[in-house]
Amino acid sequence: MPSNPKYLCIVREVTAKVGHIHGIGEDLMEQIKLAVDEACANVIKYAYGGDVHKRIVIRYKVDRGRFEVVIEDSGVKADPEAIMGRRLEDVRPGGLGIHFIKRCFDIFEFDGKKKKGNRLRLVRYLKERNEDRYHGA
Amino acid sequence: MKIDITEHNGAKVFSLSGDIDLYSSPVLRKELIFFIGKKVPLLLVDFRDVSYIDSSGIATLVEGLRGMMSHGGKLKLFGIPERIVEIFAFSKLDKVFDICGSLDDAVED
Repeated sequence: MPSNPKYLCIVREVTAKVGHIHGIGEDLMEQIKLAVDEACANVIKYAYGGDVHKRIVIRYKVDRGRFEVVIEDSGVKADPEAIMGRRLEDVRPGGLGIHFIKRCFDIFEFDGKKKKGNRLRLVRYLKERNEDRYHGA
Repeated sequence: MKIDITEHNGAKVFSLSGDIDLYSSPVLRKELIFFIGKKVPLLLVDFRDVSYIDSSGIATLVEGLRGMMSHGGKLKLFGIPERIVEIFAFSKLDKVFDICGSLDDAVED
């Protein structure tokens, strides 16, 4: 997708359709849709600094009880150590997106081998998962 | 997202519809800032037709709440669909915002 926020609605639609095709429940798909949207929004804001003319590549893979999304950009490298949301008790604008991603996905990892830009891999296991494991701590 | 702005018993009512995301939230922010600048005493946000909100939309509302409080005004939300209430609850903002069931509830308090 182009790195323009106006295309985020398409990402959400496609994400929901992929889930629907694979029979994933609506409640979970709402969470996944939000998390993928937030991850792409972070690329637009931070990796591309708001440049709307770049490119984001999103790949989906659903098999053997897992929903995987890989999001690639060619922007500024993210520092995984520095990515943390605000404490949820600390009420102020911003800092929530990463919580929405991490509460939904079991794996959140950047591919350190990618030379230019970022490759973020998100994996959600679809079975035997403790729904209450993440509280934004 | 679409915003209809009306008046109800002296309160400004923002009726939102559609998706509030990184693309549309700057429009909402601009309108909120305009009325905060006018120091309106009560601003009500109607969520009944909102289908989606992301962190940028929530951040905009938090900023709006702070702006309203800075001059002693109130910002209330009403008619929030259950799926979106869950997002506010996870974000621990359901206790921060004054969330009402209906327009009448929001005006009465």
